[in-house]
This record gives sequence, structure tokens and C-alpha cells, in this order.
Amino acid sequence: MNPTILQALGEILPAEALLRDSAASLPPGSGASVAVVAPTSLSQIAAVMERASREGWRVLPAGLCTWLGGGGAVEADVVVSTRNLRGLTAYEPADLTFTADAGIPWGTLREATRLNAQWLPLDPPGFREGSLGALVATGASGPLRQAYGTPRDHVLGVTMVSGDGRVLKWGGRVVKNVAGFDVTRLTVGSWGALGVVTSVSARLFPLPERDLTILVRAPSAEDLLGPARSMALSPLPFSAVELLEPVGAVSPHLEEGELKAALALRVAGSEAQVREAEARVFDESFLRNDVGAGSALRLRDSESVAFHDALSRWEEGVPLVLRLSALPSRLPSLLQEARELRTRIEASGGAGGWRQAAKGREVSVPHGPGPPAGEGSGYRIAVHVGMGVLRLGIRLPSEEGDALGKLAGDLRALRERLETAGGTLTLSQGPPALVRDVGVCGEVGTEAELVRGLRREFDPAGILQAGRFVV
Amino acid sequence: MGSEWVLTDPDRLLVYEADALTSRPFPPQAVVLPTSTDEVARVMGILHGNRIPVVPRGAGTGLSGGAVASRGGVVLGTARMTRILEMDPENRRALLQCGVPNSTLSSAAAPHGLYYAPDPSSQTACTIGGNVAENSGGPHCLKYGVTCRYITGLRVVLPHGEVVWLGGQGREAPTFDLVGLFVGSEGCFGIATEVEVALIPLPEGVRTLLAIFDSLEDAGRAVTAIISRGLLPAALEIVDRNTIKAVEASIFAAGYPTDAGAALVVEFDGMEAGLALEAAEATGCCREAGAREVRQAQSSGERLALWKGRKKAFGAMGRLAPDLLVQDATVPRTRLPEVLGRIDEIAQRYELQVANVFHAGDGNLHPNLVYDRRNPEESRRVEEASMEIMAACVAVGGTITGEHGVGSDKRKYMPLVFSPAELEALAGVRQVFDPQGTCNPGKVLPERPAREEPGGSTP
Repeated sequence: MNPTILQALGEILPAEALLRDSAASLPPGSGASVAVVAPTSLSQIAAVMERASREGWRVLPAGLCTWLGGGGAVEADVVVSTRNLRGLTAYEPADLTFTADAGIPWGTLREATRLNAQWLPLDPPGFREGSLGALVATGASGPLRQAYGTPRDHVLGVTMVSGDGRVLKWGGRVVKNVAGFDVTRLTVGSWGALGVVTSVSARLFPLPERDLTILVRAPSAEDLLGPARSMALSPLPFSAVELLEPVGAVSPHLEEGELKAALALRVAGSEAQVREAEARVFDESFLRNDVGAGSALRLRDSESVAFHDALSRWEEGVPLVLRLSALPSRLPSLLQEARELRTRIEASGGAGGWRQAAKGREVSVPHGPGPPAGEGSGYRIAVHVGMGVLRLGIRLPSEEGDALGKLAGDLRALRERLETAGGTLTLSQGPPALVRDVGVCGEVGTEAELVRGLRREFDPAGILQAGRFVV
Repeated sequence: MGSEWVLTDPDRLLVYEADALTSRPFPPQAVVLPTSTDEVARVMGILHGNRIPVVPRGAGTGLSGGAVASRGGVVLGTARMTRILEMDPENRRALLQCGVPNSTLSSAAAPHGLYYAPDPSSQTACTIGGNVAENSGGPHCLKYGVTCRYITGLRVVLPHGEVVWLGGQGREAPTFDLVGLFVGSEGCFGIATEVEVALIPLPEGVRTLLAIFDSLEDAGRAVTAIISRGLLPAALEIVDRNTIKAVEASIFAAGYPTDAGAALVVEFDGMEAGLALEAAEATGCCREAGAREVRQAQSSGERLALWKGRKKAFGAMGRLAPDLLVQDATVPRTRLPEVLGRIDEIAQRYELQVANVFHAGDGNLHPNLVYDRRNPEESRRVEEASMEIMAACVAVGGTITGEHGVGSDKRKYMPLVFSPAELEALAGVRQVFDPQGTCNPGKVLPERPAREEPGGSTP
């Protein structure tokens, strides 16, 4: 670590807030000079940020440090983790709201709310290992977005320390609040580019009485796309409509012979609603013909929850994960794009296996029904059908020749095609060199000047997410 | 645009001197009524170049004095921007011009089995653009959420006339949620000329209950019991004794018993299966909390009748006095009984009549103060009582406006919820969009922050 910075941090923070051993958990290529601190109070975070802004130290806000660098190397002088701020500070079940410190682990929050038959219905990739603050900062969502939306729809207020050390509270813990401009919404999904989120208030929902996932299986995703679209557009109250191939990427025993793909229809609600939805799904023509007959499985309650928990770990250990998005009506072409990209990678000698990417990186071993990283058919597809989001997990091309450079070119061309049609391509995880080359996201459009202005307002010294966040 | 769409005749300007907060009129210098993004951009460019304040205005139904030229300048009305540009049921979305009335959108979506969920009380008149500016609510946002949740993309003319597109369905935006920030910005960040919205399926079934209670406390306990059972009604609305009396004495009489302490409207919607059970459970909660009577609508006509006392409450209050101040604040739901007691006490102390209508499920209350603005002494009491009511709401963790916005009326309460540093940051955010400070000046932020006003210096 940089001795000057370390000494200065030592003056601001108590000894237990300086994590001397944590450099080992940094992603490869991060350099030995990164200091990782976990302040034990809001005022300590404010003091660190104020000093950092004055000195020009580059800061990376973090939660539990399970996903430092977001798949890439950490390019910062100081990582400020909120893992020592983890209290559930206010929870009034009858209000269906809570306030908690940003570093509260997801599991702690889930357990506390479950005891009152309530939940925060969000399930983004990898969320089980992360903190509430990280969930808010990334604004990430998973299949439940179909019914419940994304963190922006649940967060009622945040406390943040701005890039220059100001403690600012936005919103509150009431469900309707239009006082002042909505900086809360701005903070959600801002990836720490405005400050360190230290506390979050959000709304909760009653935990559904029954939870059912109907799995309709078929040889390929294409076979199921029509039914998937019609279900996503039906008035049935699905909480998730996910198309998976191979379904074995979630749980190996669900794959049987030719039946590699599955449509997972999750419906959660009262006993009567779930029973009715189940009956109506099984009355659909696609389940009464040859394709559907005999292919459907019912996962009830704890099985349904376990299936979706496993689905949230779908990206673990996968060398390259891409998110293709478009209007849902364009899903057939997204699926075709995913197929073509896979063909090209295989053709360029897709020998680079699953394992390779995990090398030197801490990959948590999936517990439960998920497959061990490194196995499978070399690719996986998961589609949020109602949202027009297709995730493609795939192995890398071999390291011979310029296969990676060629892949970068393919990805840039794909991004351009998707953007022309009003969509996007995001690199969720992949080798740092490739991510740097292609960029996590596409260019920010005409709003770039506004984004720059907002960053200057909250982080005048430009120390947050320097060089990482687009614009 | 054609000179007929630039109004300067003082008689015609009268219409634009106030919104639904009528107590402080400010006639604009002119009104312009463009029809397209391009026209708006050119108008904004000209006004910006001449440092003339511009005030965006939809239908003028706002209750916080937000669409009023309180610093002079030009009102830019969106009344002619009423085209639905795309109705896209395949993707459950629509793209429309900002002047489309809220309920017109839902009517247009209905043939596709879809609707636009947020339903402010003024929905037959208020525009989508106005809803975006105010982040409007409505009685059904307990289950469905407010405007912000349904706005997915915006074409915005910035104060200096540049046009930007924010968000958009089908995109996972690579940057900040500027749509989320823009919604609720009360016309201070520019004008959203085109709005992309998410539509949702029309519910298959609806069950509406009306429960009559002897006291407001009993009604409050029923609400808590319903929520605690894990039920999620589409709406949970309460009207208090004074409101019931006003409604029943008016042409809007809805058949609520005039000796009741409170009436609670509970509505469930969604898939037909299960609705009957939910309604039965909610009925049980009401009876256990001491409801003397629970009625369930058996037809859509009966449903409208049950809602009538709630929906016509504001209109009926016109009988009580010449002026009505419709207040708006939110508190955590569990603090409602306590806050209602405080409001009652404050009103008595100032010798004012208060009638409460509220979205009990959201903790969003509307204490309405009736008065006569020609009586300056009474107006002053209304003013002081309002400040105390706001302070009481904030003291229990609430806020100064749940759905009506800050506008010009509530700027003075902003320091109750924001620190000087936060107000300064809000002014900074505004300045990013409007460095010159000519887009709806004199709104949202209190007088103090130096950076808010044109020519102000940055400390």
C-alpha cells in the first residue's frame, strides 16, 4: 500500500478499520498499492472522503468486497468498504418499510424480513453474497423484475457521503415523497460514481403464501420462445418468465435427454391465485400438444425458491457473460445473435474452457443444485422474456492467434447492431483485457454532458470510479 | 408557430395566472402553445437567449403553484401536444406527446387489454407531461407505485433548447437513471415533450368495500390489520367525519352516514380467483376493528357509488367556505393516528376547520383547510397552521409533500426536510440542467441557496 496514504488513513481511522490482509482478495492486476478500509461509522467515511477529495486519491466504494472491481482490476488508491456498517436500523413491519446500513448482508436482511412474512423482491445475479448497498449502487435486477421492477422501484431513501465528504440524506422512509428533486433515483444504479451509499430505506412486500415454478421443457429455446412471449404478455400474474438453455446450467437433474431448454414460469401469490394460474397455464395449447405433453414439471414453494436461488448464481465462474437487450418483440433476433456469436467462438477454437477464467480469481463454489464452474456445454442462455434481456454465458476462444481480438471485433459489431435497433450490449463479466477493449457498456448518448455535470456536482475532484464509469 | 398560438391579450392570459392553487395568481407576460418537440426547442432557445423565464404547463391542475409565472416570463403550454405517437401492445409500451391527458392514454390502451396505472384524481384533465413533472400519485399507488415506475423514456428539451433522449425501453442504459431524476423535477430541468410509458394489463376483477367506523382510530386499526395480514389492496382510502358531512350535504351525496367518524374504502384487483377471499379477509379486519357496517359493491355502478364520497370530497368542500387549501404530506403509515390527533389539535388552536382525506395505505394525508382568502387574518392562521402541520409530519419521519409537489407554495417548508448542504446540492443539480436558472424559476428550492437564482454567486 502507498505509505503516505496509509499513514493519513491511520490518522483518520481506528486500527480495526484498516484491512491489511484484504489486498489478497483484490482481483488480479489491481496492484499492491491499493488500501482497503472499512470505516466503522458514517463520520469516518465522511472524513476519508473529504481527505481523499483534497488529496486526489482515487476511491472505489464497495460493500462486502465480494465483487471488487466488477470483474476487472481495481484501479483506485483506496477501497472504502461499508462492511462494518451492517445494522438493520429501523424496521416497522406494519409500515412495510425498513432502513438499514448499506453493508448489511443480503442474507441478514432476507432473514429479518422473512420472520415477518415480508420480502424485498429483488434477485439480481450474485445478490446472495452481496450487501444491500451494492444492490442499490448497481441497480441490478433479475427475473423478478417481471413483476416487481428494479431497485429504483423499491428504494425510498438513501444516505450517502458525496465524493468530497458531504453527508447527504435523500428521500426518506415514506412510500410517497416528492419533496425536492429525486436524487434517490439518481443514486440507485450510479455505481458509486456520486459517493458512498451508507444507508438505505426501501419498501417491502408481503411474502407470497404460495410460490410455484412451472418448468416447460423442449429441445431448444427457439421451441419455447412463442409460448414464452404469449405467457409474458398474458394477464396472469407471473413474477418471473425466464427462458433457459441449457436448463442444466441451473440444476443438472432438470435436463432430460433431448429436453435441454426450459421455460420457467414463476407465479407467487395467494393459494387461490396460484392454483388458478397453474390451471390456466396447463390449459394453454402449447402444453396440450406434443411438444408440451409430458415435458412440464412443477416446482412448489421451497423447490421454487431453491430453483430461483440457483438461477441467481447462474453467472458464477462463467468466463464471459454478455447482456443483450432490446424491446421484447425483438427477442427472436437476440436469440439468433446469441447463436451466431457462439458459433463464431466455437469456430475460432473455443478451447479456452470455463476453468481458465476462474484461474487466479476467487470463484465461490456453488452450494445446492448449481453445476460446478467449469462444466456444462460451454455456453448458457437465460432470457428475461418480459423485459427483452438475454444473457449469454460462454467460454472464451482459445488463446492462440488473435482470437480474443477477433471476439472484441465481433462484440463491437454486435453492439452496433443492437444499438441501431434501440437496444444495448453489456459485458457483465469477462477477461479484463477484453472488457477494457470493448467497454462494459456502449457510449452514453446526448445526455453525456448532463452526466458529467452531475458527477462534478457530487464529486468535484473526480476521484470516484475514475476511468471506470462511462463518461 | 403562427401568431395565433402566441397569446398576449391580457384577457386570454387570465386563464394562465394560476393553477389549482388559486390563492396567489401571477399573470404571465405571454403564453406560447407549440405542437412539436422542434417548436418547443426553438421557443426555448429564443427565450433562453433573451434570459426570459419559461414556465412549462400541462392542464394547470397542479395544487402547489408550480405552473405559474411567479417570476414573470412566458408560460409554455402543452395543450396542443396531444398525439399518441406509438401504441405498442407487443411490448406493453406507448410513446406519446406530453399534452395527452392521463385518462386518454388509458382509454387508448384499453382495446389492447392494457392501461396506464397511475391515476391522480384529476386524471381526466391532467396531462402525462404534468404527471412526469410532479411524479404524480393517486389512490392506487399502494399496490402499483407512482408515476416514476411507469416512465421509461423521455425526450427532453433542455432549457437552452438542446434536445436529448433519456432512457428508453429495450435499453439497459449505460449511465445514470436520468429518467428517474427528471421525473418529479417540476419543470425546472426542461420540458419533456415526448414520454415513453410502460402499460400493464387491465385487472380481470375488482372488489370494492366501504366500511363505516365510529372513529378515525378504528378505521386506522382496520388498515393496520389489513396490511399485517399480508393483504395488498389496490387502494386503502379514508375520509373523516368533516369530509363525510361536507360530501353528504352536497350534490355529491354518496350515502355515507353523517354521524360516522370515518369511512374506509378498500379495493382489491387482479386475477378473479382469490379476490373474494381477500375481500372477505379485509371485511373481517374491518369488523374486528369495530366497523359498524361493511358494504361490498355488487356492480360497477355500486362501485362508483362507494368511491363517490372519496372522489368528490374536494368538490364538496367548496360548500364550506370560498377557499380550500388542499394540503399534502406523508407519514409512516403506523404514525397516522398520532399525526391525525396532532392535526386536529393544531386546527382547533388556530380555530380552523380541517377535513381529512387520505391514502391510508401509503400514509399520504390531505388535511384540507377551508377559509376565506378575503379575510387576511384567517389566511394568516391557515398559513401558520399549515407550517405546524408540516412540522408535525416531518417530526414523525414524514415529508412535506407526497404527490402534489413543492411548487411555489411549499418552498418555505423545504428546510424542514433538507439540511443547508442538501439544499445546496439540490441547487447544484438544478444548475446542471439549467445553468442560467430561467426554467421555472422560483419553484421547489427555497429563496436561500445563492446558486439557485440567475446572477447568484457560488459560495
